[in-house]
Parts: sequence; C-alpha cells; structure tokens
Amino acid sequence: MIWLTWRQFRAQALITLSVLAVFALYLILLGLSIRDFHSSQIVGCQGSACEAATRRFESDYKTQLTLVSSLLIGIPAIIGAFWGAPLITRELEAGTHRLVWNQSITRVRWLAPKAAVIAATSLVVTGLFSLLLTWAASPYDQVMGSRFTKLIFDSRNLAPLGYALFGLALGVTFGLLLRRTLPAMALTLVVFAVAQIVMPYVVRPHLVPPRTTSVAVNALSLPRVGSFLLESPPGATGELTNSTTLRVEDYAMPGALVLTSGSKILTAAGKPAVTNKQVSACLEPAQATLSESGACLAKQHLHFDVTYQPASRYWTFQWFETAVFTVLGSLLFGFCLWRIPRLA
Amino acid sequence: MTPVLQTEGLGKRYGRHTALADCTLNIPPGRIVGLVGPNGAGKSTLLGLTCGLIAPTTGTIKVLGNKPAASAAQLAKVGFVAQDTPVYTNLSIADHLQMGARLNPGWDHELANGRIRQLGLDPHHKAGQLSGGQRAQLALTIAAAKRPQLLIFDEPVAALDPLARRAFLQNLMEVVVEINTSIILSSHLLSDLERVADYLVLLAGGRVQLAGEVDELLATHYRLTGARGELDSLPDEIEVVTAEHTPRQSTLLVHTNVPVPHTISGAEHIDLEDMVLAYMTQASNHAAGLPDQRVPAKASESNR
Repeated sequence: MIWLTWRQFRAQALITLSVLAVFALYLILLGLSIRDFHSSQIVGCQGSACEAATRRFESDYKTQLTLVSSLLIGIPAIIGAFWGAPLITRELEAGTHRLVWNQSITRVRWLAPKAAVIAATSLVVTGLFSLLLTWAASPYDQVMGSRFTKLIFDSRNLAPLGYALFGLALGVTFGLLLRRTLPAMALTLVVFAVAQIVMPYVVRPHLVPPRTTSVAVNALSLPRVGSFLLESPPGATGELTNSTTLRVEDYAMPGALVLTSGSKILTAAGKPAVTNKQVSACLEPAQATLSESGACLAKQHLHFDVTYQPASRYWTFQWFETAVFTVLGSLLFGFCLWRIPRLA
Repeated sequence: MTPVLQTEGLGKRYGRHTALADCTLNIPPGRIVGLVGPNGAGKSTLLGLTCGLIAPTTGTIKVLGNKPAASAAQLAKVGFVAQDTPVYTNLSIADHLQMGARLNPGWDHELANGRIRQLGLDPHHKAGQLSGGQRAQLALTIAAAKRPQLLIFDEPVAALDPLARRAFLQNLMEVVVEINTSIILSSHLLSDLERVADYLVLLAGGRVQLAGEVDELLATHYRLTGARGELDSLPDEIEVVTAEHTPRQSTLLVHTNVPVPHTISGAEHIDLEDMVLAYMTQASNHAAGLPDQRVPAKASESNR
C-alpha cells in the first residue's frame, strides 16, 4: 500500500516540493541577511545608535517576516486542502475506489498506510520549514522579544507540526464526509482558518491563569508601549486640563505574551493619573522622546497594570498547543478509519 | 458445495428509492451466471452488494459462505470489475500489475504478464490512454490474476463496440478455463450473455423475476397456441407468464415443471430471448398495475 500511495502521490509531491524548495532557498537567504545585519549593527552597539539600529532592524525585516510567517501558517491549510481532501474523494470521483477496494486488502488497511505516508510527508515538510524559519528569524525574534506573540508563536518551533497533522486530518475527514473534492477543500480551508483564529485569540491566552503585574512608568517602560495616549472627557477643548487622563496601549514585554491591550496610567494611590502641572511639564516639550518623558514621569511614581503570560511559559505553551492539535488530528483520523468500512 | 451467492430477502434502499427488494437467490458454484435486466433494474446494486462495496438495508447475503468484503481473505476470493472498468489513468499498465501483485497475496504473475503480452499491450502505456476495450481487458486481467473463486463483471461490454465486445468475451472464456472460477456477468442485453451463461438471473424493477439453470429454464417453458377460449382452463401445474389474445387465437407463454398434457396441442419450446421478454413484460405490467396474467381470464386481454 505504501508503494501505491507513493506511486499515486509522487507527481503531486514533486510539484509541491519544487515550489517549496524555492521558498526554502528564500528562507536561507533571508536568514543569512538577518544574521549579517544582526552581527554587524546590533551586537555590541552603544546607546542611541543601538535604538536606531533596532528600529532599522525592525523596519527592514518586519514585513518580510510577517509575510513568511503567514505563509508558514498557511502550509498546513494547503496540505489539508490539496493533499488531505482529495485523498479519498479523488478515488470516489474517478470510481477507482471500486478497483482498489476489491483487491485483497480491507479499506482500513488501504486508508491507514495512505494517510500515514502523507501525514509523515506533511510533518517533514512543515517541520523543515518551521526549523528554517525559526533559524532565519531567531536573531530578530530575540531582539524584538516577540516570539510569544500571535503569528510568530504558531509559525515557529513545534506548533506548526500540530497544525500540519490537524489540517491534513480535516481534509481527509471532510473528503470522506462530503465525498466531493471541491466542497471538501473549501470546508477544510474555512474550518482551519477558524481554528487559526480561535486558538490565538480565545484559547491560548487562558491555557494557564495569566499573571498581572504593575509596571512603573519610567525611561525603560515608556518606550515599550505601542501608543501613549491622552484621554480628554467628552466636550473638552483639547487643552491639557486636570481632567485629562493618560493611557498606554500595546505594551510589549520581551518574550512574554501580553494579554492587556490597553490600560489607564494610575497614581501610586491607584487613582487614574491626570495631567496636573508636574505631569504636563514632562509632556510639554513636543519633541520629547518617550524615554525622556518616561525619565521625567518616573518621579511621579505612576504605574499601569499589565496581564500577561510570562516568557518562561513559552515552551509549555508550545508543547500544549502542539499536543492539542495532534490529539484533534488523531481523533479525526480515528474517525475516518472507523467510518471508511461503513461507506456504502 | 458452498453456494457462490446465497441471499435471503436482500434489499437496498437509497432514501425513498428502492434499488433492490426481496431478493432471494441460491446460486451453485461453477456456473457462469448471466444477470440480465433493463437499465435501473438493480443489477449494479446486486453486484455491489455481492462484492461488498454496498451494504444491504434488509436481508442477508453470503458470498462463498461469508459476509462480503468482511476480511482480506474474503476480498481475495472475489474479483470484481466495476461498470466502466475504472483504472488509474495516470498509472501505467505495469503499475497496475505491480499494484495487483502488492495487494493480492495470491497474485499470479504468469497469468497477468501472459495476458498483457497476448493482448499486445505495451506495459509502459498509461492506462488513461487505452481504448475502452483495452481498459476492460486490463481490468479483467487484474481481477483474474488475483485468482478469485468468484469473478464478477458489471456491464463489462456495455461501452464496447461489437468487435471489442466479442474479443472481451472470448478472453473472458479463456480466463474461466484457465483459473476455473465461478462468474457473474451482468448486461442489459441478453444477447451479450446468451452464448456464455449457463445460469440466468433476470432482474426487473428491483426484483428477481426469474432465476435458474439455462437448460432447465429452456426445458420448462413453452409457448401454447390455441383457438380463443381453448386455453382458458389449464391444469394447476401450468403457470401462465404472459397471454396474448386476438379475436380468434390465444398465445400463452407458460412455465411448468411437468410435461404439457397431450390434450394441449401446439406446445413448443421457446428460446431464452422470448422467455426473458415475457418475464420483463410481466414485470412491467405488474408495475403498471395491470392484472396479473398468471390468472388466465378473458379480462387479461393484452393491451398491445
């Protein structure tokens, strides 16, 4: 059966692999270029030159890496739709199931090796790309402290393996249930996309109870916020008054998964901080950088609260997510093996 | 000897459509069974049930004494060539033989390679490029080389031109001699099977209308011709299949296991084609709600 599977799958696999080879080459070049930038401009940099270099590092590679990461997240979906869904439907549509199911081999013994060969190929392909991308992006991920964030988390290390198995199993299952290739492909893509949204937004943040910490506003913390906002009450004139409050959004903690999207800046007493004279003074010079403002505000003992999953939990989460999708995928394969002899 | 096919009240429904109903058969081994019936009669359903591609909704079926497709051993005993003889279009003939060899423990290399050679086929040819006749021959070779005890063909010649049809049937007969197996062949045309079958099953409207050894069927069916009214009262052993009446004459097609009494003159044997036609007429009259013509009454005036 392994021979037949490979014989049927060969042309398809070779086409896919040749496309992927180009992608792999690109990843290698990207990795070398990132390493080059990192060793020449980031390693051993000093003070403000360092900040500038980090900014350039981000602007040079962020888009490329985001695209490549999305592509890697897409590979399991493509595997599911193009290798998984047609696995059974192609036979049903061509009528060849009537040929192969009448050889001296039960349907379970027909499907199991077929699915296993393709699952193994998928795992090797996905694993290889995950390895390449993890390698290529590692200096960047390290400098930005972003490996726990959405999109990056599920396109590095182990997580893609779970997704690959799950995507393939979805494809095979929908093929078996719908019996037609195109609807099965479409449904596979849709359900996989839903899983890819539900997992990072709904499930992952709450796998383990998150921690909450209070971050002091100072020269170190303020540059790490995505945006620093002044909020005036409705009907205000736009002048800084005693009723204008302060807010930070998208605070980044190196290596951690931050769950709070935005929070009010509070005083030491826990009241919302307002732009009183001392605070206004720190914000007044329009050209002040966030680290200068931060240094000035440090004397006011202000803070904001952040809920997060600490960086130390990264591998727990990687293993957990891989396990969840491996189990889901295995259950689907199990269902297919149970169902296939009953197909009539 | 275990019957090759034994069914009891076998039926298959697809939703509200009944494809096969109340099918009871007991076919002894060593026969070449012709399964005849119009399109949509349930032939493919019966054959699908026999090889285990389809599961029954009601009744039981045993093929060579076992449930169809229940195990690899059972699958090895039954060869099946499906309608339109499906093959993998992008695999070569050699690939197909390789597949057969790998998936069937009893694979007969000599038979497989010998047949392909004899047919003059190039093993490197892709199966998708073969003509309908060649594809049917390839499918026959694959099914035969696993050396089954029962070989089933679903409409093997329906898509073939007369020449390919003859070549296929000839090849089939050679295979039967070579591997000594029971055969079930289906067709909507009796003429395809008449020359090869020695057992006949007639399906119409999803029901078995007639089943038996061809010789026996021929020996027990007669056409009776007599003056109108002369044949109205027949002995109980004589079963009327169809009756046609003209104002002056009646023609009955009857089945009887006993010799026709001497009092009835003009009894003659009929050929298989007339017999099949008669049973199909009976089935369609039955389906149309016309009176059953087994009751010889004046009311059963034929509507033709």
